[in-house]
Amino acid sequence: MLKVLDSAVPIACWSCSIGHNDFTLFCPHCSKIQPPPGCDYFSVFGMEPRLSLDLPALEAEFHRLSRKLHPDRFARALENEKQWSLADTALLNDAYRTLKDPLRRTEYLLKLEGAEIGEEHSGKNRVDPSRVPADLLEEVFELNMQLEEMRAARKMGEEDLELQASLTQAKQKFQGLLEIVDKDLRAEWTAWDDGGQAARPAAQNKMVALLDRRRYLSNLLRDVNETLGD
Amino acid sequence: MAYSDRVIDHYNNPRNVGQLDKTSTEVGTGLVGAPECGDVMRLQIRVNPETQVIEEARFKTFGCGSAIASSSLATEWIKGRTVDDALGIKNTDIVKELSLPPVKIHCSVLAEDAIRAAIGDWKKKNGVGEMAETATATAR
Repeated sequence: MLKVLDSAVPIACWSCSIGHNDFTLFCPHCSKIQPPPGCDYFSVFGMEPRLSLDLPALEAEFHRLSRKLHPDRFARALENEKQWSLADTALLNDAYRTLKDPLRRTEYLLKLEGAEIGEEHSGKNRVDPSRVPADLLEEVFELNMQLEEMRAARKMGEEDLELQASLTQAKQKFQGLLEIVDKDLRAEWTAWDDGGQAARPAAQNKMVALLDRRRYLSNLLRDVNETLGD
Repeated sequence: MAYSDRVIDHYNNPRNVGQLDKTSTEVGTGLVGAPECGDVMRLQIRVNPETQVIEEARFKTFGCGSAIASSSLATEWIKGRTVDDALGIKNTDIVKELSLPPVKIHCSVLAEDAIRAAIGDWKKKNGVGEMAETATATAR
């Protein structure tokens, strides 16, 4: 999606005219700043797309590039270079924010691989029923009923302690389920990172399903927390 | 993004909210959810065993205005129809009626799924069309 240019096709540096891959913020030959590259976020940091990232290395590279791109350094540069330093910095910030967060990174990589995540996939195609966490539906529905009851009681100025206890219990249960989802996601990260090309489609499908489940659970927990007033 | 007047109308005055006796053989229950947004929808029908006409429909939806409006409209539409007739309702009909924007199309899909699930549950309880369903299950 974001790979505008094929990595095999070199583009010429605006300054020294030597061709380089469109993967870099600075020309590898003359070190001049380049316009925002049309590459994916991993390539911005010179990394292979992976789910288990070396976060300290990512952070170090982010700081290094941020310093190199800082607009102050381009105060006396050409107008184009000034603008590119801003545009490149924006790209770098977006890339860093996306990659350092485990969930955003997973979603981003899945999108790179062509998966449709979240609301995006629902409008165009019918949702595959197997993606709905059907085992949770009954409990989710019941929990929503309790939440509604509790809010209604609150409005009347009442506190239903029994209901509150049951919600607290539900909250713990759903938190536990969320932890399991996160553990399963990490297992799929490993499968995707180390399993080779053959293992990737299956891992991707599992991750898309896990992310759906996670979204479901975290929305519920948010509602429970709001109602419980935590 | 603004909701259409039809959505607001159904949202403010939802039709047929409530529940039917789940254990009754005349009642079919469909419980469906959208993983994208966490919406969950329960739609129930009471079918006349003689005529196979849906005489009552109830829903309870936790979700956005469009999801509530879609299920409210769905109960209105299926009431008085035979089960086979009700299966003909498409999510695109709901989209048109409520002028749903593209990002809310999944709400109408959910409502259509809920109708199918409720009718499926009723059929299962009453042994209707079981042969056909096993056939499609093995074909998959």
